[in-house]
Amino acid sequence: MFSTKEFVAASRDFVCVRLETYESKEHQDLIRQFLNGRMENTAFCILDPKGEEQLTRASRSPASVLGAEGRGPGATKGTNEEVIAEMKGLASSYRPRGNDDEMLLQDFHSFRQALNVASGDQRLLVFIAAGEREQSSARRNLRPVFADDEVTGRFHLDFGDPEEDSQWAAALTKLKSRSGIIVIQADTFGEKGEVLAQLPITAREADIKATLLLANKSFAATEERKVYSEHVAEGRRENIFFETVMPFGEDHDGDGEIDARRGKGKGKGKGKR
Amino acid sequence: MKLTILLLALLALFPVTGSSQGASPTDIGASTQPVGDPGVMWYTTWDTARAEAIRSNRPIFFMAAAATCSNIPGVF
Repeated sequence: MFSTKEFVAASRDFVCVRLETYESKEHQDLIRQFLNGRMENTAFCILDPKGEEQLTRASRSPASVLGAEGRGPGATKGTNEEVIAEMKGLASSYRPRGNDDEMLLQDFHSFRQALNVASGDQRLLVFIAAGEREQSSARRNLRPVFADDEVTGRFHLDFGDPEEDSQWAAALTKLKSRSGIIVIQADTFGEKGEVLAQLPITAREADIKATLLLANKSFAATEERKVYSEHVAEGRRENIFFETVMPFGEDHDGDGEIDARRGKGKGKGKGKR
Repeated sequence: MKLTILLLALLALFPVTGSSQGASPTDIGASTQPVGDPGVMWYTTWDTARAEAIRSNRPIFFMAAAATCSNIPGVF
């Protein structure tokens, strides 16, 4: 569903946020808030612009809510067309304001997570490595670039945090300098990355856009879509493991504890149970 | 014999799935979207998304998901 042009077009009338379920307790608290205390791997709902009022009920996916009939095992999911139609109806109640090139820019809580998400989505990651003052001016330069229709939705963007991301450079190859606008291709498991292009932090908008689009064109020509099942099987064979802050698993009864999985013991991760 | 038939009928009515979380990883293929094409523009922190929604007066499309499968990274 997320991959169709029609859905992507409809999503532009919303501010879309996708939080990593196992990244923090704060994320899981939000999920529990929307799911009446439960914690599930995936969750979806639509909220008013203040994020205070739920405009739809919450469930695992848009198709489980929008255009869906009934709940539970006998429920039918909404089709792509039904989901999009309901999205348009919900968005029509709000008149957008402000200019697109004043939009706030995407950021991640950590470079490690940014690299993983870029790998999962198979998009290039644009990483901003700069001091606080330079980051501020970089944001001004980057807003119109990332609001450009040719750029929007093709990249992920992360601003380096001096403390959280102190080891970011160690994950990269072909890095020329430890500061600037860095275009990165994440590896298969999002653990390492290769620098495809690098610009000074003061680069002009036109140069940034041209560099990003050129890198994306090259990436698109060489990167093959991952097959989910094969990727997971390969990860198991190679014993790849991503340590999460919160333990892996779900809490279906909403008792605040991750449910034990039959034969699996406690949820994995270093988080508290 | 009757018990076997009854069990088979129950299995047909209520098929056993690998997980209550949806399709098993072994059943999931590849995204149909060409690499490099524009996708959903995701915000990845709540504070930024909410501030942008207030600024632009657009409703929030909220998702929680993991770019991991059983702690194997690099996949949605």
